[in-house]
Amino acid sequence: MNQITKEMRDLARELLASGEVKGLIGWTKGSRWYLTPPLFITRPEEAEQLYFDQFAVNNLTGLLLDYRYGDDKIALFVKGCDSRGIVRLLQDHQIKREKVLVIGVPCMGMSDKKAVTDPRQPVELPLLDKCLECRYPNPVIADRLIGGALVSGEPSEPKGLTASEAAKRGVGSKQADRFAQVKAIEAMSADEKYAFWQAQHEKCLRCYACRNICPACNCRECIFESDKKGWVNKSATPTDNAFFAVTRAMHVAGRCVECGECERVCPMDIPIMALNRKVIQDINELFGESDAGTDLDGKMPLGLFKNDDPEEFM
Amino acid sequence: MVEQKINPVATLSDVKRINPLIPMKAKVTRIIDETADVKTFCIAKEEAGRFTAPFRTAPGQLAMLSLPGVGEAMFSATDAPEHLQLSIKKVGVLTDALHEICPGQTVGVRGPYGNGFPMDEYKGKNILFIGGGIGLAPVRSVVRYCVDHRDDFGQLHLIYGSRSPADLVFKYDLFDTWPAVRDFKVSVTVDRGDDQWKGNVGFVPAFIEQLRPDPENTVCILCGPPIMIKFTLGILDKLGFTPENVITTLEMRMKCGIGKCGRCNIGSCFVCLDGPVFSLAQLKTMPNEY
Amino acid sequence: MQRLKAFPKAKLTAVLEMMIQKATVWVPSMIAGVSRFAPYRPGTDIQMGTNTAISPKEALFPSTEKIYKFSAYGIDGDFEPVDPSVGPQILFGLRSCDMQGILCLDDVFLTRGYVDDFYGSKREATTLITLGCVTPGADCFCASMGVNPAEHDASDAQMYDLGDAYGIIARSVKGEALVKDLMAAGLLSDTDKSQGPTADFVLKVDSEGITEKLQQMFDHPLWDELSRKCLNCGTCAYLCPTCHCFDIAEKKRNQHCGVKIKCWDTCMFSEYALMAGGHNPRPSKKERVRQRFMHKLRYFPERYGKLQCTGCGRCIAKCPVNLEITDVIKLAGEAKSDG
Ligand SMILES: Cc1cc2nc3c(=O)[nH]c(=O)nc-3n(C[C@H](O)[C@H](O)[C@H](O)COP(=O)(O)OP(=O)(O)OC[C@H]3O[C@@H](n4cnc5c(N)ncnc54)[C@H](O)[C@@H]3O)c2cc1C
Ligand code: SF4
Ligand code: SF4
Ligand code: SF4
Ligand code: SF4
Ligand code: FES
Repeated sequence: MNQITKEMRDLARELLASGEVKGLIGWTKGSRWYLTPPLFITRPEEAEQLYFDQFAVNNLTGLLLDYRYGDDKIALFVKGCDSRGIVRLLQDHQIKREKVLVIGVPCMGMSDKKAVTDPRQPVELPLLDKCLECRYPNPVIADRLIGGALVSGEPSEPKGLTASEAAKRGVGSKQADRFAQVKAIEAMSADEKYAFWQAQHEKCLRCYACRNICPACNCRECIFESDKKGWVNKSATPTDNAFFAVTRAMHVAGRCVECGECERVCPMDIPIMALNRKVIQDINELFGESDAGTDLDGKMPLGLFKNDDPEEFM
Repeated sequence: MVEQKINPVATLSDVKRINPLIPMKAKVTRIIDETADVKTFCIAKEEAGRFTAPFRTAPGQLAMLSLPGVGEAMFSATDAPEHLQLSIKKVGVLTDALHEICPGQTVGVRGPYGNGFPMDEYKGKNILFIGGGIGLAPVRSVVRYCVDHRDDFGQLHLIYGSRSPADLVFKYDLFDTWPAVRDFKVSVTVDRGDDQWKGNVGFVPAFIEQLRPDPENTVCILCGPPIMIKFTLGILDKLGFTPENVITTLEMRMKCGIGKCGRCNIGSCFVCLDGPVFSLAQLKTMPNEY
Repeated sequence: MQRLKAFPKAKLTAVLEMMIQKATVWVPSMIAGVSRFAPYRPGTDIQMGTNTAISPKEALFPSTEKIYKFSAYGIDGDFEPVDPSVGPQILFGLRSCDMQGILCLDDVFLTRGYVDDFYGSKREATTLITLGCVTPGADCFCASMGVNPAEHDASDAQMYDLGDAYGIIARSVKGEALVKDLMAAGLLSDTDKSQGPTADFVLKVDSEGITEKLQQMFDHPLWDELSRKCLNCGTCAYLCPTCHCFDIAEKKRNQHCGVKIKCWDTCMFSEYALMAGGHNPRPSKKERVRQRFMHKLRYFPERYGKLQCTGCGRCIAKCPVNLEITDVIKLAGEAKSDG
């Protein structure tokens, strides 16, 4: 058992036994060596099931939405990227600060399970692209810290117990490539772009996994859920899917915390982050660089009016 | 594996048209205002200038009604040769739109769906009808059947309640048609009365307790809002009605009506196909998820 | 005894080119980075090695299909049915799990009093060619669900993986016609080879008695525990070869006309069972997750006499939170019944 897992279990046991929290969201070892899915526990003895390794890729913050109307205080573990989801939920008034206990963990970078060739044989796997591009490997917000994690609201180097491992594995080594895919698509001709997105939207199943995992997609009732208004319909044709994709991207504009979960969970491997990043790039160009979900007290660029805001559309 | 006791599908060969998901074009021939939020719609298909029912329904069966461009929903049907009658409460998008239309409006109908009440099994028995609010709609189809086949049944007794006198549906039946039928007792109550109301005031379950209907050789047909059903069941049990002799209808959200879309299941039953009519004994074998 | 006929794997495209003369041939292929069954065209990136990410139910039960057109002008209106018929089609290289999935869909769409013509007409026009599976994928567990990966006897023709060739035998009149065509084109020759044994499965589960067990577990706390991490998305149902739920929805072109569509839906979505006035028989994740697994493992077997999970492993491969049906079967099996 690794040191972080041990600290996780100890802290979880303590928090649940003392009654400080009613439930706790963490990760557990899954059915295969390359799976470390979410786990929700309520009893101290269940703390033994917690686990942390380079496959604990799930951002757990979206799960807090299930408890937003309850009175119970819930604890959850966050990696650097996940922690921005907490800021998102707080700024969107989805959860109350005092109803959540945030535990920061240091991150060694998450491995790409798509590279698994033999499900029986554990091997060293490459990092996920999002981890190579990671700029916030340390939690931006936390009430407790384990594994030597440190809070940092600024882009920073990996800290804590796994710092050297993270550096060795290349966490953050490709930060400069963050907008590479956007640039590549921008370089296409209009016809090529159309063909590219058409092929992607043809695939979408409208399963809404991308929406459901997202900490920024937190509307109580999503328009795509309701067939009553007649604004949207359920047919999964390329046109309707494109409408969904663009609406979703625009609805998280300025609020997307770049956790990459939407793209990871998409069963059809649609490059959802390309759209999100395009929006982020545009916002950065129009209103100056900012990173959503890194500053609890800061205002989001789209939620803040300044006299010198660009307004060429008016 | 546990055998589920479910009524066999009553309809089938007589209803299977070319494609069971495509509605038949029909017209609204008459609209009767029942209360402020309930209207009865008479729906017929026009052929060579004659209006006839788009299809015939057995008591308790259902029809899917659609307004093109608005939506489609399931309603309990009351049968007649010249038209189909649906009594519809205004609750949402489609039903709001239906309350706005005029006679002559084109609608789509498909059906009949569902098992209906097994009327043959009730032959020779007394029948106690209990209805609350719009729940009288499915009950009315059975009442009409019993009245039409009066000699097949023993005593008939209807206990009906609504929130206020203004919310009573089918007043013409309640106060004129049915009391005139031989051996048919009609007992009406309202939750809250008004200046004109001379009848009973009180909730349906309490009214039943007061009337003490006799369970002997009697089938009870019960439809109404869940809360009324819940309390009524307790009283019926006390009065000695067995679960086999208490019959009710269920509502689940429906889309296809033919047991395919999966929408209306309760356990391994599809309410659109195996219901909506179930005995309390059957309900007890099903998961409590409706 | 007649000898097995076979064609070399190198001749696969020749075989498909011949078949598309008479029918649309759905083959496992890679389309925009996702493997799925799609109509074969010269140049299609064929993927015979592993099963597809999306199930072949798309060929019989598309994610969206028009069922009728409607128009509305004032008090007038009309309905115009869409012809459900399709030309002849072949599903080529189906695995046993997906063949079993089609049998489940047949039960739903073709039996119990009504035939859904949109499924029925496609099913009738389809010839099913199964392919024996010798190297199960990481998430496959069909053998645990009573499905034989090596062959399935409900198809029209069965292919066997003979290493460098595919063996083929006909199982129905439709299959015979197809094999005869291949013979006539000189594509088949006799072989003495046979398909090797199927490799050991990584995933295994004991599903014996699961239906009976679940009959005692409707109120079990397990559902609450299992559902906590579920996202209530549509991934599992939409990839599954047996999930058949659909919605009938409206797609308006303008104020006056539009089409009704039949499109995939899933019991995992929160508005699925929601009624006017806000009553929802399945209000939270717990009830929805319970419905999914109860349906597959208890309700469907009660109604149609077979499990509604064929062990294809797609939901396991793609569930964002690894809520695995094999774990559900295992945990339910080990749980104390709640009576
Ligand atoms: C077996 C059965 C018999 C019924 N009989 C009658 C009747 O005789 N008279 C009557 O007034 N109503 C009846 N209902 C209820 C009626 O179907 C709903 O009131 C109607 O669907 C509401 O539609 P809406 O579009 O106006 O509501 P909205 O709230 O806009 O509903 C949107 C969608 O939700 C679904 N839905 C909402 N409420 C219900 C519900 N209670 N049951 C099923 N689906 C629902 C429908 O698919 C509808 O299209 C019956 C329902 C069922 C299932
Ligand atoms: S997760 Fe992918 S397939 Fe599902 S709705 Fe989102 S984009 Fe479409
Ligand atoms: S849109 Fe995607 S990357 Fe952005 S917060 Fe949501 S899930 Fe994360
Ligand atoms: S089980 Fe997995 S795939 Fe299915 S709804 Fe839940 S999160 Fe989505
Ligand atoms: S439930 Fe999962 S494993 Fe079973 S048939 Fe469906 S997708 Fe395949
Ligand atoms: S309404 Fe489709 S199964 Fe009952």
